[in-house]
Amino acid sequence: MPPLNAFVFLSAFMFVTGTVGVLLRRNPLIVFMSIELMLNSANLALVAFSRFHDSAEGQVFALIVIAVAASEVVVGLALMVAIFKSGRALDIDGLSELRG
Amino acid sequence: MTTGQLLTAGLALPLLGFIINRTLGPLRRDLVGGVGSGVIFASFACFAAAAAMNGGGVHHTVLYTWSEGAGTGPAAVPRLGFDLYFDGLAAVMTLVVTGVGALIHVYSGGYMADEDDAGFARFFGHMNLFVFSMLLLVLAHNFVLLVVGWALVGLSSYLLIGFWHDRPTAVAAARKAFVMNVIGDVGIVIASFVAFSSTGGLGFDQLFGVNLKCVVPCPLPIGTSTAELIAFLLLIGAVAKSAQIPLHTWLPDAMEGPTPVSALIHAATMVTAGVYLVARFHPLFAHAPAASATAALIGAATALMAALIATVQTDIKRVLAYSTMSQIGYMFFAVAIGAGVAGMFHLVTHAFFKALLFLAAGNVIHALHGEQDIRNMGGLWKRLPGTSWAFLIGALALSGIPPLAGFFSKDEILAAGTMLGPLRPLPAIVLLLTAGLTAYYMLRVFFIAFLAPARTQGDLHEAPLVMAAPVAVLAVLAVVGGLLQPGPWHVLTDYIGATVEGAAPAASADLLVTLGALTVVVVGVGTAYWRFGQRVTDVGEGAMVLRRAFYWDAVYDGLVVRPLRLLGDMFGRGVEQPVIAGAVEAVSQAAAGMGTEVGRLQSGYLRSYATVFAVGGLVLLVMLAMVVR
Repeated sequence: MPPLNAFVFLSAFMFVTGTVGVLLRRNPLIVFMSIELMLNSANLALVAFSRFHDSAEGQVFALIVIAVAASEVVVGLALMVAIFKSGRALDIDGLSELRG
Repeated sequence: MTTGQLLTAGLALPLLGFIINRTLGPLRRDLVGGVGSGVIFASFACFAAAAAMNGGGVHHTVLYTWSEGAGTGPAAVPRLGFDLYFDGLAAVMTLVVTGVGALIHVYSGGYMADEDDAGFARFFGHMNLFVFSMLLLVLAHNFVLLVVGWALVGLSSYLLIGFWHDRPTAVAAARKAFVMNVIGDVGIVIASFVAFSSTGGLGFDQLFGVNLKCVVPCPLPIGTSTAELIAFLLLIGAVAKSAQIPLHTWLPDAMEGPTPVSALIHAATMVTAGVYLVARFHPLFAHAPAASATAALIGAATALMAALIATVQTDIKRVLAYSTMSQIGYMFFAVAIGAGVAGMFHLVTHAFFKALLFLAAGNVIHALHGEQDIRNMGGLWKRLPGTSWAFLIGALALSGIPPLAGFFSKDEILAAGTMLGPLRPLPAIVLLLTAGLTAYYMLRVFFIAFLAPARTQGDLHEAPLVMAAPVAVLAVLAVVGGLLQPGPWHVLTDYIGATVEGAAPAASADLLVTLGALTVVVVGVGTAYWRFGQRVTDVGEGAMVLRRAFYWDAVYDGLVVRPLRLLGDMFGRGVEQPVIAGAVEAVSQAAAGMGTEVGRLQSGYLRSYATVFAVGGLVLLVMLAMVVR
């Protein structure tokens, strides 16, 4: 089995990739995928630590994160469908009505 | 029933009437007049029975004890209770208040009939409250109850002067009366403080010894200077309530109230409370020569001044108001020089004939639909014969024509005045002169309003029986009331002499004084007849100084009202606007400005939020790394 560091580095790489995606992309679908990537990088780290420390707690956390991510995606996709139905472009820079 | 129970019932009944009329009254108009008058009649019966059982003695009832009193020295707690005290003086006063009050309540049932249900109930409720307050004041046997009754009388007077609270003049008059009376209340309250600190108790008995009866000069537990101080403070209260110089300006304005109110409160009873107070504290005033002399001078000066003003007034109720001030000046003079019986005698007869005059004037005003100016009256002798007779009897009684009531009582005061000695004849001369003026101004009103040719057309309707009957009873009392005292039987002297005069010799009518008074009165009547008897060319408007009532109002306006207004305006513009309103404005503007500034951070771009979030997370991470290392 690869050492723990390999998992952590992979996890960090995924997280940074997700973050950059969230910050730079304007398509909400891509943003969602990036967020998913960030969440899963955290999951990877959790499961890896859990395995290397012989403790189930990290896996429990990972399961909860998966559940939360799933419900979050449901809400997000519903929002996007609603925006699409109202005839607006799916561009997050265009959705700025809540500015102060 | 025992005397104590009778006193309790007599005191509680008007309060009960007040409560019923102010709660159920508006719903059951048919009961209001009956309840309102009935409780006063019942109260009168209670006090009459109590007086009969009591004889000339004294009765002391403790309804409730708030504090038993404990300890001695500076930390002592005084005994304090709901103590009622009933002697001859209180009996006379309670009988006048409830007797005349009951008649005026009946009269009000007719006079106020045009009011709507709520107003009718309110009127009777407040009249009942007034009678209760007055009885409490009279029966009080300690300073606390006295102050409570004294202030409640002021309150009910305020409520009744301002009864027509949609009239700005009535509201202003009520406020003026209240402010003037509160000045007096403060005097009484401070007097009770001084009495408490010097005697260690609040009861009157601590000041005078038991039963308030002693041979003058009674020994007092306080020094002369303290006695003078308490007497002067009490005098402030008495002067305010009795409308004497310099706190008299509220009484003429109080005529804005309904006429029965003027009859009961501002003629027969409330304004005599000051006289009662001086009579009640007679042992104290006997030890306070300076305060007594001041009171006597105030009384004489007020009598003359008010009579002079009354000679030029054209509002029939204002004439009667100034006449009331003048007559109370007589009483003040009498009780202040120690002639308490003469003063109380005049108080009783004055209650009869002044209530009669006011109610007769009320009949006239009622028949003329609110007209109060004597220049617009005239011809009433033919058109309102019954009322005219009543008014004439009242006017003659007030003028002091024998054998009507006013002749005897005024005569006693004048006789008492001469007993001051040859060195101080001035007040007596002033009062003698005032008697002539009194006859002049009363007959002037009678000639102009009743005998002169009518200035309005149309038939007038005499008042209904409910209004005529009380007037008739009062007319009889004004005729025979004088028989209380003169002649071989001195009913009042026997009854209250010991209380209000101690062992001082009672003033007996002096033939010379009587003749002098009669001469002056005849001159007064003659002058009135000469000027207004045959034909009325002018109504004797007189000098400006009289029409403006010696400029008292103008002076108070300039010295007190205007400076206070100015001060208020100054604070309004100089402090309220820039400081208080400015501070509030600044706070709200600061909040709004801050909101706008902070709101700019909210760009609405999701990616900028995410960037801030990411940078924040990074910073936290770096800080964490630094801490862990």
